[in-house]
Amino acid sequence: MKLASFRTVAALLAGIATVTLGFTAPAAHAQDKPKVIRISYSSAGTGGRPLTGGTSIATAHQQGILEKEFAKDGIKIQWTFNPGAGPATNEQLANGLADFAHHGDLPIIIGRSTGLRTKILFSYTRFGPAYITGPIDSPAKSLEDLKGKRLAVFKGTASQLALGRILKKHGLTERDFKTVSMDGDTLRAAIATKDVDGGFIAPFDLEARGVGKVIYSTGPDPELTSQGVFWVSEEFEKKYPDIVQRVVTALIKVTAWSSEEKNREAQYKLWSNSGTSYYEYQKTFADVPLKWRLSPLLDEYFVENLKKSIVQAREFKLIRRDVSVDGWLAPKYLNTALKELKLEGYWPEFNAAGKPKTAQVAQN
Amino acid sequence: MKYLHRRICTTAGLLAIAGATQAAGQSNEDLQRQIEELKAVVKTLQQQIGGQGTAARTPVAAPAEAGQSSASAEKTFIGPEATAKADPGAPSANTETTPAAPEVATKADIDGLRTDLENYKYEQKRNRETKTALTTRGTTIGGSVQARYTAQDPAVRTGSTATSSDRSSSFDIPQATLNFAGSLYRDYSEGRNLDYRLAFAYAKNSPATDGSQLNATDAYIRYSPLPTLTGLEDPRLTITLGQQQIPFGLEAQIGEELRPVINNAQFLGGLGVGTRQIGLIVRGDYDPYVDYGFNYRAPLLEYAFGVVNGSGPNKSDDNNHKDYIARLAFTLPVDYYSLFRELKFGVSAYKGKKNLVNGTNVVGLGKRDRYGFDIYYNHAPFGITYEYAEGRDGVANNGPEIKSRGQYLTAFYTWGEQWVASSRAQAKYDDYWPKSYQLFARYDTFDPNRALDNDRTKVGVLGFNLFFAETTKFQVNLNHYDYQNPAQRSSNELLAQFQFGF
Repeated sequence: MKLASFRTVAALLAGIATVTLGFTAPAAHAQDKPKVIRISYSSAGTGGRPLTGGTSIATAHQQGILEKEFAKDGIKIQWTFNPGAGPATNEQLANGLADFAHHGDLPIIIGRSTGLRTKILFSYTRFGPAYITGPIDSPAKSLEDLKGKRLAVFKGTASQLALGRILKKHGLTERDFKTVSMDGDTLRAAIATKDVDGGFIAPFDLEARGVGKVIYSTGPDPELTSQGVFWVSEEFEKKYPDIVQRVVTALIKVTAWSSEEKNREAQYKLWSNSGTSYYEYQKTFADVPLKWRLSPLLDEYFVENLKKSIVQAREFKLIRRDVSVDGWLAPKYLNTALKELKLEGYWPEFNAAGKPKTAQVAQN
Repeated sequence: MKYLHRRICTTAGLLAIAGATQAAGQSNEDLQRQIEELKAVVKTLQQQIGGQGTAARTPVAAPAEAGQSSASAEKTFIGPEATAKADPGAPSANTETTPAAPEVATKADIDGLRTDLENYKYEQKRNRETKTALTTRGTTIGGSVQARYTAQDPAVRTGSTATSSDRSSSFDIPQATLNFAGSLYRDYSEGRNLDYRLAFAYAKNSPATDGSQLNATDAYIRYSPLPTLTGLEDPRLTITLGQQQIPFGLEAQIGEELRPVINNAQFLGGLGVGTRQIGLIVRGDYDPYVDYGFNYRAPLLEYAFGVVNGSGPNKSDDNNHKDYIARLAFTLPVDYYSLFRELKFGVSAYKGKKNLVNGTNVVGLGKRDRYGFDIYYNHAPFGITYEYAEGRDGVANNGPEIKSRGQYLTAFYTWGEQWVASSRAQAKYDDYWPKSYQLFARYDTFDPNRALDNDRTKVGVLGFNLFFAETTKFQVNLNHYDYQNPAQRSSNELLAQFQFGF
């Protein structure tokens, strides 16, 4: 049998590649609407399940809000939940695999410092407490008691930046501890088996099981807590601004529902589908009104806190270059959504110090 | 009540009979344990009867409670759309969302849960003992199989027994592997583990027979003296003792799962650097550059050095000299998003002694040295690898040493998500695995003796790879062989291979 010529088979290979390439069409191409909207979420449920809680964006996912919004357009919503947290989401964006994302403050700062191009659309969390949790029989009663011991934190995520703030407040640095990097599931297991002396994680699931306890808690301290952002890639925003607006409007509507106190219990139940217990949401969300905790505003507090986070990330050597907030925020989409939904003034604005600007609004 | 009592007696009787039939083959301890288990079951049943009796005395409460629960469930709404369903103009009863009353577990509920737990424990224990492969230490079993179709022009008879005509094509199973791996000691706090690996590979006989060979490929233990769990910024170090791949160059160290080409570069076989050796090898890195934004780690320096027999796999040393190997690689310290990400330069050296043979007689020892240089660049979707290797071998009767040279250049274009770590690690319910597609071209030359004319071979390869599952890929390679020796005709070879792992 005479083998086909080199050129013929080379052409065949090229044809195979062409056909295969056609089957893997890019998510967005030259038309007014994308075929798919890809959302990266910097977290995952317990045991790696694609379901989360703790934010209004998680609520939107569980309720299928965006899917309903874009069903009439034939646009698919693709959610990716990343157990690798913020760094994994950055990788998705770097490889052109994410259009929108939920992100903690540190990873998005690091990403921007290395050239990732995003536009911040709104905030999704603030004033959340942070905890250092230890084994149930730990003799430690304070951070100082953990000096020289094994302290676990999920490095590269907002947790590491928050830990840096806390340690600084107490005159400490990461170097005062034997720090190890662990994700949430691994860390809970390590505390239960006493493989670490403390970890940056909420204690309540472990407390309920009788294997962990609180060693340190910040409470809702505006100087220490992290804030999260929801962003869009610059490329997607330039190409589909109307789609961006619809996404933001739909999510702000959900956020308003999530911020109503009368929906607090129902929301905890919804979030507990993620595998994190109802009890933990009760405890970690107890100290702050939902309207404060879930505020989407890009207010003075948000901007100043973002700037301080950038300075701290540089100070803690978590970034190697300076980052500017100029041109990073895209408030027009949020402002339009608030106007359309008649939600202007619904969430209180906070000043740079983290206090409500209007006392009357705070009482609502 | 009589009916329940009769059911209890019947159940106990059946259990007793079952126990009696097994008594002959079981020890007294087992029998005693089963008796205790039966007693517990009977006691539980009696308690359940007591609980049911109590429930029977208050038959009116249950329907009312059920009704309340149902009513509460019907009134529960979740979400903004659900809230919108509540009509302000409707009767007030329908718009109220009365919180459900807290439920209290009854004794029967708790007893039922206990029984379920005991049944579950028993079932798990039985299944583990009778339906699960057990090992003294935790073991991961894996392997791979390659199924290949080859078409070549001109026809060949290599590896065949006597035939009436040469073959132009063939279906083959060129390789099948089986491996076992795990930890002999697991350090959960810092990851200073002691691991092991034992692997076997199938190989055809040549000339072909109905039989085949199964040889050990990897057989080693590996210890990590430095922590592996503390973070990306800490250096790594491993000490490996046993039969293993040697750290020479790039391609010799890449596993079958990741190698883009079906056939290895010529010099791997020609110089023997792709052959496994038995010995002690230290591998590690220094000053890793970490980009926390992407969990990306690029060791500034990677090093490896070791001492091996030099006689190849599955053999003791065949002379009184050990061979030594060393490698050093430098990776540019840049961020994940940098254009120069994963640009690496490496050098390798292997110094050994081999038996010099004159005919069938060993007449002395001669050198067996290998030196190599490599460049690796992989910035999705593009990548380039280049590798150069040179061999210097002594010859019998004090003749001049033989110098050989091989090198290849591979360029590839990859699209898809299989090599994006976050895509592989994403949370999922089903067996989803990201796919990748790859086109590549390679130019490969090998000259076994630079002093001789007409002994160089050039191979041009065009290929396409489809990685469509965690351990599965489909490959098509078109190879063109160009022999400097005028007595050998150039040839073309089409390979289509399906490789799957488990």
